[in-house]
Amino acid sequence: MKHYHYLLLLSILFFSLCTGTAVAQWFDYPTPGIPRNANGSADLDAPTPRVGGTPNIGGIWVAAELLKDQCPDRDNCITQMDLPADQRDVARNLEGGLPYQPWAAKLVAERAARRSMDDPHARCLPPNFPRAYYFPQYYKIVQTPDLIVILHEFNASYRQIFMDGRPLPEDPFPYWSGYSIGHWEGDTLVVESLGYRDDLWLDMQGNPLTEEARVTERISRPDFGSLQIELTVDDPKAYTAPWTVLLQSNVVVDTELIEEICLENEQDVQLFEVE
Amino acid sequence: MKEPILILLIKAVILMAVPAWAHHSPAAFDPNIEVSITGSVTELAWTSPHARLYVDVVQEDGSVVNWNFELPSPVGLMRKGWRRKDLAPGDTVSVIGIRAKAHPSIAIADAILDAEGNPVFSN
Repeated sequence: MKHYHYLLLLSILFFSLCTGTAVAQWFDYPTPGIPRNANGSADLDAPTPRVGGTPNIGGIWVAAELLKDQCPDRDNCITQMDLPADQRDVARNLEGGLPYQPWAAKLVAERAARRSMDDPHARCLPPNFPRAYYFPQYYKIVQTPDLIVILHEFNASYRQIFMDGRPLPEDPFPYWSGYSIGHWEGDTLVVESLGYRDDLWLDMQGNPLTEEARVTERISRPDFGSLQIELTVDDPKAYTAPWTVLLQSNVVVDTELIEEICLENEQDVQLFEVE
Repeated sequence: MKEPILILLIKAVILMAVPAWAHHSPAAFDPNIEVSITGSVTELAWTSPHARLYVDVVQEDGSVVNWNFELPSPVGLMRKGWRRKDLAPGDTVSVIGIRAKAHPSIAIADAILDAEGNPVFSN
């Protein structure tokens, strides 16, 4: 082979190796089309993205308020997934606490006595919305005019919000995340849901959600980096009055959802013991 | 076998603070049963819901016990910058953790140090 053929071959090999290792890294693949600062980081304070006359709430999100890692020796302890504060107790900021029906108050106390070992999440069951907003895992909102889909990392789950004007069902299937319809009121997405299973947990306390629940989410995106969900639960079977809490999520960029299939190697349930 | 100072320090701090730890399931693991071993990695299972580190530990009588340590989910580890190749079969590790109530060689790992005493999968 002539001398310049070798050079050409080496050049091709060199460049293909370079692009192969640097650009093809999936884990921190840059999110296209987002507002960025001069240094390349996402501009979280940029104005609300819009599409088709409404805010665009699409993107990857994660619960905003996290419990601090309890590790006493920060440099050496194994790093834990940060636990959203709402996951511990969704009603932590609710003045007066939750307005339980008597049986529901008793149930929550029993669940605490059993150390939450009956939590469906501990048995790898689905991440049910609205609880799914505040698991440690990421969720991705995909927005189209007639349908919004939310993908959740835990067990590669999904939830649909129908935006095509259809009514709520009269005899719904008992869904883990209910059956949801939505419409825009100005810049707020109003989502109404019913048709929940009768035995759902709203957090690690085991605050219940029953088949009689009607859940309203008022979702807004005040700027590029923030998602606010005003959550109202109207569940007369479990609670004596509707109650409302505010959930917040932060946008996640330059990475991707990772699959977390809980049953693939679950080993703890067999070790559960009640004292 | 003399334990490295670093391990002793970690053990002391963890013993004081363990009841405050939010993530460990109290249904399966007893915060009062603390374990500390040194051994050789046989496998790092990069699985959900918990990555698992298997370590052969030679007992005083020469027999080998294979310990099963529970780690956080690989999703959480990766988001803090760790990768599955950070530990490999044959690596020497020291691990301290909290033992399962119902099993003598299953535990949640609270800290892992490699052969040079550097923390692995740490913050």
